[in-house]
Amino acid sequence: MTTANSKPSAPSSSFNVKRAVFWIIGLPPAYYVLAILIAVAPAVSATLINPNYWFVILKQSAPLGIAVLAQSLVMRVRSIDLSVSGVFAFAIYVASSGLLNSYPPLLTVAMPIVVGLLVGVINGVLVAYVRASAVISTLSVSAILIGVVQYMSAGRAPGSTPTWLRVLTSGNIHGLSYSVIIWIATSVLVAAAFRFLIVGRYFRAVGDNPRAAETTGIPLARTIFVSHVTAGVLTGIAALVQVSALAVGTIKPGFDTFMNALAATILGGVTFGVDRGGVAGPFVAVVAFSFLFAMLTVFGIQEPGKLIVQGLIIALAAIIYGTRAGRI
Amino acid sequence: MNTVATYLRVPYRAGAIRLSIGTLVLMVLASIIFLPGFLAGENLSNLLAQSTTLVISALGQTFVILTGGLDVSVGSIISVTTAIMTLDMPPFVRVLLCIAVATTFGLVNGYGVARLNVHPIIMTLATMGIGQGLALIILPIPGGRVPDWLSMSVAGSIGPLPNALVWLVVASLVAAWILYRRPFGLYLFAAGGNEFNARMNGVPVERTIMNAYVLSALFACAAGMFLAGRLASGDPKGGAAFGIESVTAAALGGVHLAGGIGSIFGTVVGAAILGLVNNVMNLANVSAFLQSVAKGALLLVLVVSQRRKTIGL
Repeated sequence: MTTANSKPSAPSSSFNVKRAVFWIIGLPPAYYVLAILIAVAPAVSATLINPNYWFVILKQSAPLGIAVLAQSLVMRVRSIDLSVSGVFAFAIYVASSGLLNSYPPLLTVAMPIVVGLLVGVINGVLVAYVRASAVISTLSVSAILIGVVQYMSAGRAPGSTPTWLRVLTSGNIHGLSYSVIIWIATSVLVAAAFRFLIVGRYFRAVGDNPRAAETTGIPLARTIFVSHVTAGVLTGIAALVQVSALAVGTIKPGFDTFMNALAATILGGVTFGVDRGGVAGPFVAVVAFSFLFAMLTVFGIQEPGKLIVQGLIIALAAIIYGTRAGRI
Repeated sequence: MNTVATYLRVPYRAGAIRLSIGTLVLMVLASIIFLPGFLAGENLSNLLAQSTTLVISALGQTFVILTGGLDVSVGSIISVTTAIMTLDMPPFVRVLLCIAVATTFGLVNGYGVARLNVHPIIMTLATMGIGQGLALIILPIPGGRVPDWLSMSVAGSIGPLPNALVWLVVASLVAAWILYRRPFGLYLFAAGGNEFNARMNGVPVERTIMNAYVLSALFACAAGMFLAGRLASGDPKGGAAFGIESVTAAALGGVHLAGGIGSIFGTVVGAAILGLVNNVMNLANVSAFLQSVAKGALLLVLVVSQRRKTIGL
């Protein structure tokens, strides 16, 4: 009896172990990077394993995290959004220059999101309907926005950001900053949309094979348009969170944000048409990146070293995926 | 029978070059009519010196774009080159080192894209970061001194011809020779036009793509040397803008980012348009801060006018 009972269960458990191993191997590189960093953190500095320090890391990562979420949406459908820098620059300048001081505070909150939405619509129309190159058209939109900011500011740094807005970053619930809560909430919303709405399947189909998707009746142009508009809104939210994290405005933010957003998206397992990381992958990647840079700072490694490490991580992550699954 | 129309016929694979030439001619005519100082020798010399770095880097970029790729690490290679040229070494060693570093970057990019199946933007973005870091390690702040012969070769002139023009013409001729007179050029168009068909017809696609990235890096190296000679010093972030601007120049010249369509002449025209926008706005006393807006708007108009068959990067 015992033998008879145990026989059927053996293949199943070995099958599960095999599946688990494959699942672990298939995880985006971000998980491995974060696991390694957490493992070596106690040896580097006791501060790095302090829970309060992690809350700070998460708080600092929130704008980038939401920007990465936005970038991952367009990269899923084989497009790209290089206008992140422009939206950030515009939102930070308008919010910190006092232009909106005489209007209700709600306008200051809505402004970055509306700017992001408009930029998303313009990008979406250009890429999906006009069929312009995503790289060039989103870059042009960014250049125009940055140019407008530079013209309006005449090259001078703007003033302080509204004090009341800073509560978005400084306020917290049980130590978790509001900005982190916004980041988690937007991630959950996007994940739910992918899981339960038809648009999630459209995104996946277009990312896998745009021509096949179009042939089977999926609205290719509309799906890409929606991805850009949604990414624009999310970038606007990221810009709002970034404004709240700054005490003083700047007219030259952004290029690092764009680079880091792209790097974290790739590290999180989302690349052009490849969506292995889901929404969690890029989330973990942002945390891993922030933690890595914090650790490099502890080691006294300056900007050049950080750039090289960042480049190496992107290259390694991309090569691992490339050799595993064809072009990414 | 050869008619005027036959001579003016542009091959399909040269892209929307007529539009680019038309834009350039209109801009030049408008500048001559409305800006009195435009044809002054000093202004033309400035325009040439400012545009040459962009032209050389964009020529290299054209090879990569023709394969359907993009090389955003061009800017970092330019920066590294200017930094290396300020090192305390014999000039000959500095030049060799620049070429070796550029070739290494090109090989890494090419190998990553062609053999390891990494997307070109991702691969070159990674090497861009590494190159920028390297440049900052070699030369943390702008400064240093490049060999005198390099400064002389950029600033001087051969008779009435400014040396910058010689650099530009030589680079263009070399690029044109590679693209139109070597089998490699044909392979580039074939691999970029349809990779599968090219492979079926015996085109060594991987090797072609790798060579394209190596060439792009070597042209970026030449652009870096020109920039170092013009500045007479190094700048670890001096090339940063050229990564994207070289792509922009090529796109303005009708080179399709999807690959397989483009021309050397088109790229030179595209880079000239970009250089002219800055120059004209300076002459017209337009705020320097509006130049970014104007360039972005111009690029948008030209890109929108080049509607493609497929949606994508």
